[in-house]
Amino acid sequence: MSLRKSLSVLAQDRSLFVPAALFAALIIGVLLLSPRLFTVNGLAGAILVATPLILTTLALTPIVMAGRGSVDLSVGPLLGFINVTLISWLVGNGITSPFAVIAWVVCLGAAYQLMQALIIIYVRIAPIIVTLASFLILSGLNLMVMSRPEGVAPDWMLSWGAGTSIFSPVLLLLVAAFAIWAIMRRTSFYSHLRMTGADERMAYTSGVQVDLIRIVAHVLGGVFVGLAALSYTALISSGDPTQGSTYTLQAVTALVLGGANLAGGRGGAVGSTLGAINMFLISYLLSTFSFGTVSGFVTQMAFGLILVGSLLVNVFLIRRQAAN
Amino acid sequence: MTTTVTASPSTSTARSNNLQFQRSIVIGFGLLVVLLIAGAILVPGFISLRNARSILLLAAFLGLASLGQTFCALVGALDLSIPYLIGAANILFPSLLVAGLPAWLAVIVVIILGAVVGSANGILSFRLQGQALIMSLGVGFAIVGAVQIYTSLGTQFGGTVFAPIPAWLRNISAFNGTFLGLPIPPVVVIWLAVVGFTIWGLHNTWFGRSIYAVGGSRTAAARLGISEFSVWTAIHAISGAMSAFAGVLLLGFSGGGFVGVGDPYLFTTVAAVVIGGTSLLGGVGGYGATVLGVLVLTVLTSLLVGLGLDFPAQQAIIGLLIIPMVAIYARSPHIRNQI
Repeated sequence: MSLRKSLSVLAQDRSLFVPAALFAALIIGVLLLSPRLFTVNGLAGAILVATPLILTTLALTPIVMAGRGSVDLSVGPLLGFINVTLISWLVGNGITSPFAVIAWVVCLGAAYQLMQALIIIYVRIAPIIVTLASFLILSGLNLMVMSRPEGVAPDWMLSWGAGTSIFSPVLLLLVAAFAIWAIMRRTSFYSHLRMTGADERMAYTSGVQVDLIRIVAHVLGGVFVGLAALSYTALISSGDPTQGSTYTLQAVTALVLGGANLAGGRGGAVGSTLGAINMFLISYLLSTFSFGTVSGFVTQMAFGLILVGSLLVNVFLIRRQAAN
Repeated sequence: MTTTVTASPSTSTARSNNLQFQRSIVIGFGLLVVLLIAGAILVPGFISLRNARSILLLAAFLGLASLGQTFCALVGALDLSIPYLIGAANILFPSLLVAGLPAWLAVIVVIILGAVVGSANGILSFRLQGQALIMSLGVGFAIVGAVQIYTSLGTQFGGTVFAPIPAWLRNISAFNGTFLGLPIPPVVVIWLAVVGFTIWGLHNTWFGRSIYAVGGSRTAAARLGISEFSVWTAIHAISGAMSAFAGVLLLGFSGGGFVGVGDPYLFTTVAAVVIGGTSLLGGVGGYGATVLGVLVLTVLTSLLVGLGLDFPAQQAIIGLLIIPMVAIYARSPHIRNQI
């Protein structure tokens, strides 16, 4: 996206003010404290580390935009599930062709989200319960598939995680995800998605097929989870049954930080990406200070406070429509 | 998230809600009986005083932690800070003991801090409503980080804190604790007292009825002169205080402060509320239903353990069970019936 176009997007959408301002402030902070990030190696490493979070946040975006408070808490464990099944079932059985691996991650993510969408729509129970149950089921299954971190990624993927070149295949995954989003934005699906999220009853009476919109939103999210799992596998070069789950909270925080409304209707790829990058920059900046043994706790507290702060800013800066 | 669905209540939905609630109680009881019979057949020694005592002990912790979650669900909120407050209390309490506070004072300080954090959570999330659960998650995260920073200043150990725990606290929550000479862990008695008081209070006090009024219809509650803000803040404060209390009691059970001790309670408190039949949309249900949910969940876990399943498998099975359980009585109407 060209700079001018980015600026016009910013001018249109007030919800991007906060993430953009925070982004600028963080960049200045990094320039002052640790300019090493802006070397080739620094940027390559940053892309490698930040991509799983950016893609997970992108996965949450359409699902949250579809409304009903459907923050998909299960994205983290789903990412972990795709990771462990890829390593244990595919690579473990000698299937390593890139085509099979990519097809597996994308299809598994999409299929799981399709199932969740069908349960939400046809069993008609609150999305939060479905995703909570999913969280439990997948966290359990992940440990049943693989009880501890083990295995190795396919040979062709090992170079992805080296983090020595900016234009690595991981960046390609990111570009592919943005391309999918850009195409989706040009379809009527996008406006219908926003209508459904903003007011589902209104959308339904206006002839929007809200069920279909919800299904597509979930499947799109599932595809992004698949790509996120692929980049995560490249990052750790193995399988890990528990670490994937931590992405849920990070992605939800990044989403809120990016200005999306968890109640639905508002959100986008630009905001989500900015939010995720901001999360990465915050933890990067925190790591430049030496907090000694408490550094992990400082990061934890900082994320919590940032989540609280950005939720409050979202409420007070952007005027919300009345509750009903 | 929830206000839109309950925006147009009428007498007929109120009556059907009530009927559904009765049905959920019956189903819950049925499930409990089925689980007990299955346990008696499949697991040798399942129906024994020993196993009953361990089930009640674990149920008491979950029940105390689920009290706040039930109140929150009754007004259509969810409190996801519960596990973090439990963990934070679990390490803050021993570090206060190390700092030289008498145990009884430390208990009071921790519970008051829990209430303060809970009410802060309520005040911050009041304007957010649909996003309130994410706010509670953020508050929980910030608190657990802050408490860990406090407890690990000057020590090498991160998430764990070591301190001699007073014998009376150990007796309260230990498996072989005694109450007035009877072989019942006192925490079970405490829980029963809390259950009795809460069920009475929910139906017979102004505050208890206010919770149902706000959960049922915010407009009607406002017309009755009920402050939605004070009810919202008060229930979050209660939830925080109960979480802190559960965290302290769990210390007597485990013997050493550990910040991760609360983690299982993130989903089990919600699951207990949901299985009991309290609607997450607000207004329908009660603590009695949650007690039933807690017992179902604990007996089920005990059965799965008895069958030799490990923790991941238990987790997956409980997760699998939640959706059909909720589907029986907590389905929302089709969109065309909501217009």
